[in-house]
Amino acid sequence: MKVFRKLTVTALTAVIAVTAAFAGVAAAADSLKGKITVNGSTALLPLTLQAAKEFQKLHPKVKIAASGKGSVTGPQAVKKGIADIGACDWDASIDVPGFKAFEGQVANKVAVIPFATIVNKNVGVDNLTTEQLKGIYSGKITNWKEVGGADANIVVITRAFGSGTRVNYQAKALAGGDIVKKEKNYKETGSSGDMKTAVGTTPNAIGYIDLVYVTGSDIKAVKFNGVEATTDNVINGSYKIWAYGYYMTKGQPTGATKEFIEYVQSKKFQQGSLKKLKFIPIAAMQS
Amino acid sequence: MGAPVHSLTAQTQKSLEEVKVDTRRHKRHLLGNTISRYYFLFSILALCLVLGLVIVFIGKTALLLFGSISPQDFFFSFNWTPEEDAFGAAAFIVNTLSLTALTLVIAVPISVGMAVLCAEIAPKWLTSFIRPVLDLLVGIPSIVYGYLGLTVLLPFLRRVSGEGLGDGLLAAALVLALMVLPTICRISDDAIVSVPRKYRDAAYALGSTRLQVIMRVVLPAASRGIISAVILGMTRAIGETMAVVMVIGNTPQLAKTLFTPTSVLTSNIVMQISNVEFESTWNYSLHMMAFLLLLISFVLILIIRVLGRKRRDA
Repeated sequence: MKVFRKLTVTALTAVIAVTAAFAGVAAAADSLKGKITVNGSTALLPLTLQAAKEFQKLHPKVKIAASGKGSVTGPQAVKKGIADIGACDWDASIDVPGFKAFEGQVANKVAVIPFATIVNKNVGVDNLTTEQLKGIYSGKITNWKEVGGADANIVVITRAFGSGTRVNYQAKALAGGDIVKKEKNYKETGSSGDMKTAVGTTPNAIGYIDLVYVTGSDIKAVKFNGVEATTDNVINGSYKIWAYGYYMTKGQPTGATKEFIEYVQSKKFQQGSLKKLKFIPIAAMQS
Repeated sequence: MGAPVHSLTAQTQKSLEEVKVDTRRHKRHLLGNTISRYYFLFSILALCLVLGLVIVFIGKTALLLFGSISPQDFFFSFNWTPEEDAFGAAAFIVNTLSLTALTLVIAVPISVGMAVLCAEIAPKWLTSFIRPVLDLLVGIPSIVYGYLGLTVLLPFLRRVSGEGLGDGLLAAALVLALMVLPTICRISDDAIVSVPRKYRDAAYALGSTRLQVIMRVVLPAASRGIISAVILGMTRAIGETMAVVMVIGNTPQLAKTLFTPTSVLTSNIVMQISNVEFESTWNYSLHMMAFLLLLISFVLILIIRVLGRKRRDA
């Protein structure tokens, strides 16, 4: 009994000492506290969640709540004051096709997102030019044999209007060209996951998706103007279908929000976790 | 002398106590009744309040739509290109109605047939196998049905029809039919089982065959239950979203064939609501579509209730 009590006391003392030591360290480093709400793009959500986890470890008094629902909800939530940070796949402080600029918001670059044109595994074509893609998505080219494939109707799969992936794909891969609805062989999907399944299970299908989603044997990424879709080709500038991911804030960020964005932009995070998640560091494109 | 007096007193005391206990119990029951009465009243009022709020809030946002476009444009135009300020929802309305009709055409005969099988024909071991399986099917989340539709049904339809995509009303109706089948079947089953035995006995006594008994006696007698089963199935079919989104193609155009990629009210709302700015005509028109769904199911339920009543009176 006595031994037992002694052990308990020792253990308790040790725990208290360790806690105190850590608390001391944390308190010394950390006068930062607050609550940050992040809303918006689902493509950037994994990045935000990972960053939030690491940031909260450094600053235990900061609470970060992150959710994703679609790019445009990010700047909207910021506008309404629901969120401090609106994650968005395009720079929402300027006009883009379909969406007006959000006045008074500042776009903070946090990552580079590459996109890829994908086709079903049965499609023989492995390279498409901007003109060919424009033709396919505007409905002028409807058969694979017109772009060097087998004699089969092209099934066009696209994301719903307002998707960040679609906004960027239209701007970069189609050079601003239209995506036109057709009577048949045209389908819209609601998310990257649905896109992948739809292209994977539909013979002769073509679609587009974040490069990180290109896995498995049902779909394959095709070359764009002869350049393969890889992160290396994005970094050396030869592969053009990519976009910055942004954290939108109301005016310049302050306090905990500022610290958090700076953490995401820091070399440690960009070269570490962000790369592991298969995004590309922003520094790689600016140099 | 002492002993009897003692026992008498004891007896009196005991009965007095019993009376006291009875009174207490009575009071307790009264209290319980009062509390439960208020509780139920409160529940009903709360339900009405929530329902009312839903209608008011959706309706309020929806009606803002007519500040920017005219009702004719919304209800009678087939042109839905919101990015170019054309908000015609007629195609979705027609598609929703035809999808629901097609679903019921597929599901009702099969599920009522299964209900008859369960209640009248099948041996006990088969019935006790089918019923739990159907109950289980109701519990499967709709997105799973949608995923199966996308990965199993669509490739099958493509092979059979030779279409490039396979998406469309037929695929959606088949998935929905599978989803509403257990609901319609189980409720019709209960309705048929609760038809009194004497009806059947009387019919048999008159020399009816089994088919005649089922078609002329049992089904008409159970028709009100079967109609409420169909109502429940139908409301599920109209409101179902996730499964439909995955197999219908989501192209805002009128479904001219069974394999035209198309869109219904629910699927269009779920595809677009998260990508639309809060205070825009586009957002209001999506709310109007939601409000319309509410009204459509309300009207359909009313129609079928009225039909059911007439049928019973005749």
